[in-house]
Amino acid sequence: MKEGFRQAMAWLHTWAGLIFGWLLFAIFLTGTLSYFKNEISQWTQPELVPHQVTEVDSVNRAQRWLQENAGDAKRWFITLPDERSPALGLSWAKARGGFERKSLDALSGTPVQARESMGGEFFYRFHFQLQMPYPWGRWLASLSAMVMFVALVSGIITHKKIFKEFFTFRPRKGQRTWLDGHNAVAVLVLPFHLMITYSSLVIFMTMIMPVSILTTYGGNTQAFFDDLFPAFKTAPASTETAPLAPIAPMFEVAAEKWPGSRIGLITVNNPGKANASVTLTPSGADHIPNISGTTLMFDGVSGALKDESTMSAASLMLAGGLYGLHMGHFAGPLLRWLYFLAGIGGTAMIGTGLVIWLGKRKLKHAKAGVLPFELRLVEMLNVASMSGLMLAVVSFFWANRLLPVSFAGRSDWEVRTFFCMWGLALLHAFVRVFFREGRSAWREQLTLAASLYCALPVLDLLTAGDYLFASLKQGQMTLAALDVTALITGIFLAWGAMRFGEGGKVAFVSKLTPTDSRRKSDSGVSANSGSEPARESVRADATAQEAN
Amino acid sequence: MLLATLLCYIGFTALCLSMNRHYDDLIGGSLTLGRGRALKLLGWVALLLSLWVALASQAMGQALVQWFAALMGSAVLFVFVMSYRPRLALSLAGIGALLAPVVACIQLLA
Repeated sequence: MKEGFRQAMAWLHTWAGLIFGWLLFAIFLTGTLSYFKNEISQWTQPELVPHQVTEVDSVNRAQRWLQENAGDAKRWFITLPDERSPALGLSWAKARGGFERKSLDALSGTPVQARESMGGEFFYRFHFQLQMPYPWGRWLASLSAMVMFVALVSGIITHKKIFKEFFTFRPRKGQRTWLDGHNAVAVLVLPFHLMITYSSLVIFMTMIMPVSILTTYGGNTQAFFDDLFPAFKTAPASTETAPLAPIAPMFEVAAEKWPGSRIGLITVNNPGKANASVTLTPSGADHIPNISGTTLMFDGVSGALKDESTMSAASLMLAGGLYGLHMGHFAGPLLRWLYFLAGIGGTAMIGTGLVIWLGKRKLKHAKAGVLPFELRLVEMLNVASMSGLMLAVVSFFWANRLLPVSFAGRSDWEVRTFFCMWGLALLHAFVRVFFREGRSAWREQLTLAASLYCALPVLDLLTAGDYLFASLKQGQMTLAALDVTALITGIFLAWGAMRFGEGGKVAFVSKLTPTDSRRKSDSGVSANSGSEPARESVRADATAQEAN
Repeated sequence: MLLATLLCYIGFTALCLSMNRHYDDLIGGSLTLGRGRALKLLGWVALLLSLWVALASQAMGQALVQWFAALMGSAVLFVFVMSYRPRLALSLAGIGALLAPVVACIQLLA
């Protein structure tokens, strides 16, 4: 009975992991990049220079500019610069509908002339919207998260020896190594995996499980959010006009109410009208839980404190806590890097799982020398979803530096470059896997990706070297750090490409013709494709771990 | 958090050594029952102590997040260093064991 249950879980783990693995790899990789969303945006818009300015100066500049340029808007949003994002971010809902954004230089209070780019926002949006129209992308991402959770739990049940093999990683042993790596990265970072997957479901819970809202509020879900976040309720603008009170003095009240906390977001409803209101929300960088429901609301004309809402309900704190842990806004540099590395761990867990699925099935066809269609299909998708995505990501950065700065629609073209590259990688994988063999697809894509990542710092020096040096002179490491990270990624990918090279060590039986496998075992390079006993033992190991 | 991280690393090293197979690989020879138990106890005590150190140093939320980060980070570091450079993995634990009291003293005095 128990064994039957475990086998059922192994089956579930295997197939849920395969079907959603490709998409989950992309979600995890772009999500990992999103931990450096602001830093990526800084790299893609090097024109934005950080300044030392006080909150009060910043908000005064923002208010002045908005009053002059967006005085008739329905609502303003102001985000103040901090150590991770240098510009003063303004956005407003226009009177006739529509939304506009602008970045101001924090020192001069004038719009910055930066190149147009979505930067880190692109990877962040893709991570949960998958470049699909609302709400389909969110639904697909949520479904993937659910499957990820199923795969995690079924994986834990399938893995018989979590404690016995806790410290086990045997390098250079082919299939065994892949499985060890998959298990090690899953078990050792399990708290992160569980947190990130479960919290992703919590973030979209009002969308996935709206029943309790629908039964209480009927079809009017907006009423639920108005009750939850009273500060963001929209009131129709009054017809009477009245000058908006200065926002800066309200910061003093906030400093009293929330000692040690900075202001993250300033929302102004109906600016310039008699019923204007100003809402302050504390910065997410100072707290672990997401506390966007904690606000101070001021009368926009008199400037007096009108309302104060705090998030105190346990369920709200729990949901906010999971949200905050997922986003990691609170994380300082060290913790942020650990988040990033843990994210890479999750991505690697998915990637190794996909490789193991195929590797195990390839063994069965090692003698025949020909892979059946479905396995080739999986191999093609493996290549395109992993090395192809790595290519797509780096091409986004290349496009950012190569497209002319003043080129209209360049932001869209960066995104197009990303998807074109991904599509080309898929096409290349198709041609290689179906007309030659999978190894060459891996090798060529990884080689190209490695060269593009390694050359990115050079490209940055040539096209935006002035910004790089200026930032270094100011003691800002962000631009340089991205270049160095790209270089390290490139070196890692080059190492990967070499493993798929002609003389490199073969992780799996990849050369499928009998003559090839004999030749390799003769030269003694092959890790496990050579002798029959070795292959048998690998297979036995593999089946013992994940019976299916 | 340095102290908590050192303790995590020492704890994982001891727990690993408390297993026959790893003891044989890393130190050589067979593990006696008594030594195995002592290592297991040392490992768990070090991990619990690291949690206590983390909780004592700051507010609970931050402390828990950072402790989990230290726990996962040190486990990953230990396992992968051990797989490729077993002696280095042990030396790091040794250095950690030497450093931990020093760091503890500095923190107590500060």
